[in-house]
Amino acid sequence: MKKTDRKRNSRMISLVLAVILSGVTVLSGCSYGDSHGAAGEKEITVAINSETGSMDPAGSIALTYLAYSVAALDELLTYDENGEIEYRAAESYEVNEDQTVWTFHLREDALWSDGSQVTSEDFLNTMTRALDPASGSGYANYLFPIENAEEIYNGEADMDTLGVEAPDDHTLVFTLEEPCVYFLDLLRLPVYTPSCAKYADSPESGWDRDPQTSLANGPFCLTEYVPDQYFVLEKNENYWNKDAISLDRITYRFFDDTQSMATAYETGEVDVATSLPSSVMELYEGRDDLYVTDQIATRYIYFNLNVEPLDDVRVREAMNLALDREELCTIVGTDTEPTYNLVAKYMTDRSTGEYFVDGAEQPFEENAERARELLAEAGYPNAEGFPTLTYSYPTLEMDSDTAQVIQQQLKETLNIDIQLNPQELQANYSARHAGDFELCRMNWTADFADPYTYLSMLLSNSTYNCSGIHDEEYDSIVAQSDRETDPAKRSELMHQAEQLAVGEQFYIMPLYAMKSVNLVNPDITGIRQIPATGALDYRMADIGE
Amino acid sequence: MLRYTWKRLLTGLLALFVLVCVTFFLVRLMPGSPFQRGAVSEQVVEAIEQEYGLDRPLTEQFAVYLGNLLRGDLGVSYEDPGTRVTDIIARTWPVTATLGILVLAAAILVGTALGILMAVSRRKAVREVISAGGMLAAGIPSFAAAILLLLVFSVRLKWFPASGLLSPAHYVLPVTALALYPTAVIARMTGNTLAAEMEKEYVLFARAKGLGTGRIIFTHALKNAWRPVLNYVGPASAYLLTGSFVVESIFTIPGMGREFVGSITNRDYTLIMGLTVFMGTVVILVNLITDLLGAYLDPASRRAYRRADR
Repeated sequence: MKKTDRKRNSRMISLVLAVILSGVTVLSGCSYGDSHGAAGEKEITVAINSETGSMDPAGSIALTYLAYSVAALDELLTYDENGEIEYRAAESYEVNEDQTVWTFHLREDALWSDGSQVTSEDFLNTMTRALDPASGSGYANYLFPIENAEEIYNGEADMDTLGVEAPDDHTLVFTLEEPCVYFLDLLRLPVYTPSCAKYADSPESGWDRDPQTSLANGPFCLTEYVPDQYFVLEKNENYWNKDAISLDRITYRFFDDTQSMATAYETGEVDVATSLPSSVMELYEGRDDLYVTDQIATRYIYFNLNVEPLDDVRVREAMNLALDREELCTIVGTDTEPTYNLVAKYMTDRSTGEYFVDGAEQPFEENAERARELLAEAGYPNAEGFPTLTYSYPTLEMDSDTAQVIQQQLKETLNIDIQLNPQELQANYSARHAGDFELCRMNWTADFADPYTYLSMLLSNSTYNCSGIHDEEYDSIVAQSDRETDPAKRSELMHQAEQLAVGEQFYIMPLYAMKSVNLVNPDITGIRQIPATGALDYRMADIGE
Repeated sequence: MLRYTWKRLLTGLLALFVLVCVTFFLVRLMPGSPFQRGAVSEQVVEAIEQEYGLDRPLTEQFAVYLGNLLRGDLGVSYEDPGTRVTDIIARTWPVTATLGILVLAAAILVGTALGILMAVSRRKAVREVISAGGMLAAGIPSFAAAILLLLVFSVRLKWFPASGLLSPAHYVLPVTALALYPTAVIARMTGNTLAAEMEKEYVLFARAKGLGTGRIIFTHALKNAWRPVLNYVGPASAYLLTGSFVVESIFTIPGMGREFVGSITNRDYTLIMGLTVFMGTVVILVNLITDLLGAYLDPASRRAYRRADR
């Protein structure tokens, strides 16, 4: 009896084990992670951040569109790495003397992926739809340089008064409210990108994710879209410049967090993973896979000028001079570099071809001794009587680390107490917009490749000016630079404005510029970087076996 | 029985209504706006909010929402106006439910098998290994298990893929991560109750009749031993059917839990509400079914309900 029981037991164990094991072997036998598809076809798989927003240039846009449009949509023209104009949907343009009327001549051989002509009507289609708030377009305000666009958006004027005309299928004429020297830089923004007038209508119809109606005028077109999982772009056989394109297919897979992306790269499920945590940089040091790029972004702190004692420029200067940004960056991560400017460290000045911030003296130098003196001059020797200030920042790992270092440094150098107030990202946005903070973390990534994208934020009437800056001198210098058509002189004016805001008035506390840590399969060549934002561009990429 | 069922359904509906009220106002209390992103200007945010009626008084918005809800209209996702909330549910729930059912099946099969082994094995080593393993499996939170499994079987050994649900192999790691805890619980419960059952007189009688241990377990003891397990499986399946937020994120599974987390970060009001209502309904229904099933299986309470009906 005992014996049979034992036999039965061991038989049961082996049965359970056999079931589990056979399951494992069957399943692991299935193929996966094979990202190079059918023989002879060149394809890559790219990991991108989880799906957000639509793929409609006039719609509610977030990361998904930005990834899609880089490969699938041709804007009128853009700038290459050397600051030279690269004509895409347009083949030439003219501008009148006072830079208010811009005429673009569209390429006659430009076709949509279904073979139909790309016309000026398609460009107008995006603009008119974006100017209806129902579209949910967050970029609509970039159309406001155009005559009457702002009035139309606010419901104060009719759509037919918009300063854009299409005299024929291949001509597009913009009439601006006033001269705009960076107008060509705006053209890469979604609202200036075409959407096929035949199909692209209301945001509710879902045309933008249906391969039948979501047409592309760029090198790749949508062939499959699986919500939450992936979408596939294939080479557009009707593209006017298709001979320059090597890849046959790009698959974009959505990931929720960067750690999962790095894991998927490690297991070979994706060929490219972007914007990874800085720990990846140390992990992959010295390997060909690691591809570090510059982000055109600045991380800084807003001082709320309506709060005492931050209304005193000496206090703001003292806090700026007291930081040790080198030490801060060593602690926060190898993907950061100190900056003393508002304009992104890696933004190029097209008039010189150098980084814009290198075109002038550094706005200020750190100096702990001077910082203490300034604080004493402001009436707080050794921070006596200085109130505890609250620093609000989002609960991202990098910002939490930064906050602790700043708290420590200001305590050590100035004996100032900072209270940390971590907030969920959305809560932080809305506290900032409402001006409900004392010190607030801010990060700004360029929308277009011109320092104006930064300088405009501190203008008295800017919607991003949430810290109560009201400086007529600054406003007038920026306005002057806006009208200046000579690039060198304009650059000079912008440097002046930045010096005033950052080096004299210390309206902000610049912290660091960031690098983007990416992993790229070493077999892939020809990946480019978009100069305006630093994002990766796979149009001209190729993959060798 | 019928009257009892009706009563339970009505309480369920009431619970759902309370859930809708509380969620609606709590969600609106969160700072932020569905249209507020890093780079969108205040003017634009306001214009869009006005377009969607978010500038009107909260009570009015609530009345409108309730009205739509009664007609089965959950609205469109604010994040992505091209997609209806019902479509998102229709798309993500099958994924989550498939995963949940697989986890449940695995947990019941493996858990019961291990429980039986634990109860009848005469080798101390077997009992102790199962018991210690169960302790460990119940103690590790599923997200930690998920990361551990990922590192060992995906990154190091490269046996299984790390993300998505593209092939059967993709299911192995997430199912394992999620099944560890319920398996351990079921194994322990089955083991304990079965061991107690095996001491009872009817088992002794069966043995005396000359029945083998296997026969005794599968035809007699297990049936009785399993009743408490059923009480656990009910709520556990409600939990599994509504999705695991963290594990779905770790394995990049396009399910409901991940959608829910995303909707909260994006302040996608309609989507948060839609998913809450749906998940609430599922939980209430599953609990109702477990209750009715439990009542039906237990002869004593079945009689009690019959009496109550009269």
